[in-house]
Order: sequence, then C-alpha cells, then structure tokens
Amino acid sequence: MESHKKKELVIGVVMLGAGLVYLFMTMNLPRKGFVDAAFVPYVLAFMLCLLGILQLIASRTTASSEIDAESDSTPADYATVLKTLGLIVLYAALLKTVGFLLMTTLYLYLQFIVLTPASQRVKHVSYLVIAVIASTAIYFLFRHGFDLMLPAGFLDL
Amino acid sequence: MLELLQEGFSAVFSFQILILITLGVAVGIVFGAVPGLTAVMAIALSLPLTYTMGPAAGLSLLVSLYIGATSGGLISAILLKIPGTPSSIATTFDGAPMMEKGEGVKALGAGIVFSFIGTIISIAALMFIAPWLAKVALRFGPHEYFGIAIFSLTLIATLSTGSMIKGLFSGVMGFVFATVGIAPVDAIRRFTFDTPNLNSGFEVLTVLVGIFAISEIIKVAESVRAERKAAVASVSMKQIKGFGFSMKEFIGQLPNSIRSSLIGIGIGILPGVGAGTSNIVSYIVAKKRSKYPEKFGKGVIDGVVASETANNAGIGGAMIPLLTLGIPGDAVTAILLGGFMIHGIQPGPMLFMSQGPLVYTIFAALLLASVMMLVLEFYGLRIFIKLLAVPKHILLPIILVLCVVGAFGLSSRIFDIWTILLFGLIGYGFVKGGIPAAPFIIGFILGPMAETNLRRGLMLSDGNFTGFLTNPICATFLVLAALSIVWHVYGTLRSSKKAGTADLLRS
Repeated sequence: MESHKKKELVIGVVMLGAGLVYLFMTMNLPRKGFVDAAFVPYVLAFMLCLLGILQLIASRTTASSEIDAESDSTPADYATVLKTLGLIVLYAALLKTVGFLLMTTLYLYLQFIVLTPASQRVKHVSYLVIAVIASTAIYFLFRHGFDLMLPAGFLDL
Repeated sequence: MLELLQEGFSAVFSFQILILITLGVAVGIVFGAVPGLTAVMAIALSLPLTYTMGPAAGLSLLVSLYIGATSGGLISAILLKIPGTPSSIATTFDGAPMMEKGEGVKALGAGIVFSFIGTIISIAALMFIAPWLAKVALRFGPHEYFGIAIFSLTLIATLSTGSMIKGLFSGVMGFVFATVGIAPVDAIRRFTFDTPNLNSGFEVLTVLVGIFAISEIIKVAESVRAERKAAVASVSMKQIKGFGFSMKEFIGQLPNSIRSSLIGIGIGILPGVGAGTSNIVSYIVAKKRSKYPEKFGKGVIDGVVASETANNAGIGGAMIPLLTLGIPGDAVTAILLGGFMIHGIQPGPMLFMSQGPLVYTIFAALLLASVMMLVLEFYGLRIFIKLLAVPKHILLPIILVLCVVGAFGLSSRIFDIWTILLFGLIGYGFVKGGIPAAPFIIGFILGPMAETNLRRGLMLSDGNFTGFLTNPICATFLVLAALSIVWHVYGTLRSSKKAGTADLLRS
C-alpha cells in the first residue's frame, strides 16, 4: 500500500501545482473592480489550491481504506503508449503538408504494427490494404460526399 | 401535443431520415457492444457527417446513435461476460449465468425487449415533463440559472465515483479550461497567449473527443499488446419463436420493468448520475423486492430485465434537463448538446417556444429509433456478434483518424487536432490519477453558464451578492449544493466504518 500512498501524494502535488500556475496566470489579468473578468478565475484558482492541499492531507491519512482499481494483473506497457503518442503527434504535424490520403495511410499502417498484440504476427500486406482502403474511403466520403475539405497535400484528388 | 407529434412523425418518415435512423441505431449498437467503444465516441465520430445536414436529419441520427449505444452493451455483457458500457454492468450478473445454462437467447431477447420498454416509458415521461418544465423555466433569470449550474456541478462532482476531492478538482479544472478566450460581459481576452485561435476558447467537441475518445485510445495502448483473443460465445437462433421467452414470463416481469423504468428515469434526470448507476441500483432493488432473491446472480431473467430496463430508461430522463434547461447530465448528453449547437440550436426553455416542431421531431425520432433498436438488435444479432471479433489494434487507429477528421471539420484548422491531443493527454492523466472525467466536461459546459449568470445577476442587483440568497429558487439550489457536499463528507466518514456497496453487490 506504500506505493498507493505515494501515488496519491503525487496527485496532490500535481493538483496544487495546477492551482498555483493558474493563480499566477490570473494575477496577470487586468483588473477593473472587485467583480470583473478576473474574479471567477481567482475563485477557481483558490479552489484548485485548496483541493490540492486537501488531497495532500488525505494522501497522508487515508492509508489502505481505498481499493486501488489500477492494480490489476497486467502491468502498463508505457513503451507502446509513447510510440502511439509519437505517431499521433507526427500525424497531426505532417497532415497539412503531406496531405490526408498519404499521411493517414502511413499513420494507420504504422499504428496497426505498434498495437499488434505480442501473441499475433504482424500482417504487413493486410495492414497496408486496410490502411489504403480506410483512408481512401474516409477521404472521398468527406471531401466529396460531405464537402469537408480535408487537406489534399501532394496528391490533389 | 398530438398534432405536434404527428407533424414530428411526418418529418421523420422521409427516406433520408429513415435511412439515417437505421444506420444510427446499427452503428450505435456496435459501439455499445464492443468493450472500449462508447456512445460518446459513436456520436463524436458521426458528428462531421451531420455538418451539412439539416437539423432534423442531423439530430435524428445523433439520438439514434444514443439509443443504439445504450442498448448495445447488453450483447457483450451476456455473450462475453464483459459489460460493453458501464450501463450494462448489472446485466452481466444474471446474463452471463443464463448464457452458461444455455439460455443465452432468452437473456438476449429479454434484455432487448425490456431495453425497448424502458426507452419507450422514459420517452413518454420526457414528452410529458419537458414541455411543462420548459414553461416553468421560461421565468428563470440569471439568479436561477446560476443556482442550477452550481447545483449541477456540485452534484456531479460529489456523486461521481471515487474521492470527492478528485471529483470537485475535475469539475473546477473543466471550469478553468472554459475561462480561456473572451470573457463574458466585459469581453476581456483571458489566457489566450496572444493566439487568435484561442480567442473563442476551446470547442466543446474537441474537449469531449479528447477526454473520452483519444484518452481511451492511449489507455488501450497500455494493454493491447498483452491481449489475447476474447472467446465470443455463440448462440443458436434456430427454432426461436418471438423473442426467445414466453408471454407468461413477459407478463411476470412487467411490475419489475415498470419499477426499473422509474428508477432509471429518476436517476437519469439528476445531473452526474445516469445509466451507469441506475442499472446497479435497479438490480439491487429488484433483488430485494423479489420472492426468490437467492436465485439472483445464478441466472434469473429478473436481473437482466431490471438492469436493461433501467439503463435505457435513463435516455428519456437525461434528455429532460438537456432540452429544457440546456444542462447535460453526463458525457453523452454533453456531446449531444455539442451536436445541437453545431446545428444552431440552443437547448433551453426557449427551444420549446421557438422550435416546437423540431422538438417533436426529436421525440418522434427517439420513438422510431427505439422500435428500430428492438428489430435490428434481435434479428441482426449475428452480424453484431461477428463485429465483436474485429481486433482492437485495427479498430482503434481508424477511430482515431475519424476523431481527427471530426475535429478538423469543425472549422478546418489543424489547431483543433492539437486540441484533441491535448485533452486526450489530460484525460489519460485523469485515468492514471483515478480522477473522474465526467465532472470535467460538465464543469467545462456549465462553468461559463455559472460565470455569465453570476455577472449578469450582480449587474441586476448593483453588485450585491445577497440577490442570490434572497431569490428563493437560487437559494434552494445553493443550499442543496451545500447539503450534497455535507452529506457526502458524512457518508465517507461513516463508510470508513462500514463496508461499501461492493459487499452489498456480492451478497
């Protein structure tokens, strides 16, 4: 239960941190009177800080009464999470220049590979086929069916 | 009212809308059935399709998705023993044992039929209560709205699972993100970091898609590589008469289903708690009221009926505050609200005055979608079972792409794609920290409502805060909000002595 306690403490620190950052940003707002555009942000900032402090206190006192829902059998696979995030960032960053069709196909293909369960083989051909079909279908459905101008990029179809 | 409803039906019985309702219900059922896919995702992904449709067509599609997805959870609850959505948790208690006893079809049939009955009763309640409540709400001013917003926010923060501190934190954080952009009343730019993209603040839809869809995809990445193929049990549909259960059983379940509907509607109206809670409450009540409580959990039809009636009855319940006050009770109604606003419709009491026919079109669409759900879900069962086998590592990336399309489509900016990623990370952090996400959304939506009405109310009473306490309706809601916090603190202190609801469920 020691790790649970530590986790709750970290959450409290993050909560308090968020409150302080917001308080600092609020103090930079122009003031015009007691109740102005900065009034509600001040109230919110103080509430965040207060909740952060309460969480810190609670993390010290509530030891093992709460059952940790996260502590199930399989440990979290953070390598896959980071790879997935990296792919999403790349996808968003290059979408406009490369264009929806090419970028989506590439993203889907790589993301399928990253997420394939360890017990299964990576099927390159079928992944590629699914990626091409899915991105083409979405592109034409939205661009031509629903007039949603997805970025065309290099391929202007 | 009947005339308006008739008009509504004639609007819905057009070729385009009929197709949309059928598709919406089918897609909704799939999203409800596949564990990890949610009603919020179904609606978020289909929103860009509605951008170019008229409001009647667009909203019919959205409510059909809602109905389909709420009901679809029962398929995996019975066949996979995993609830497809939190609203079908109690369905697994008796649905799974029934499946083991070889009564799978009976469990599915009862679940589907009583889902339908729950939906219909709740829509009837919606049709009777909503117009009346809208009339009352017409007289509400800034003070009343401020009170209701604060009350709803507190209620969702205290009632959401886990610690109250985290629930409140989540709600306040949502409010914090809503303060980005041009301030109400005096139009000062706040927290925009001089980026014009932030002048109008964050779009509700990008926040919702990020918190509920993107974070889910990131979360699945944690465990998907360790996953093994889930075994989908098969059911034989041959030689099945009707819906797989007898007329006698149906009549025997009627009192149970009416009670469960009322529980579902009542809990659905309250902001913050919905089908996820009502199915369990209704199951416990059915067990207590039963003549044979010892059979519960071993495969009695009553358990499935109680859970499935109550969760679908939440639909009509949750639509009441949404349509009459513009207050969403949970994430699904929040995204529906987003969908309404995209079509230029502001839910609230004025909606019933200015857009009466549209409101009844929505009612008609709800009714038709329920019938469609009954037919499609039972007779299309085999197709839905096949879809349960689609591997997650293929499904989720495609869903992410559709989320990106939806975000981009809002106003053709790459900026909105970054926003869904940002809120996806926040949502993932919340999951890791055990912080509930629903209060965040409600804080984000109700925050500006609270702030605007606070400022307006203060202007009406010349900067005097007592105006909020002397106004009877506002004062009542503020007192109720305070009471809900006190009650929760008291309950937490007591429950440290007593064992919680977990034991109640096990017994």
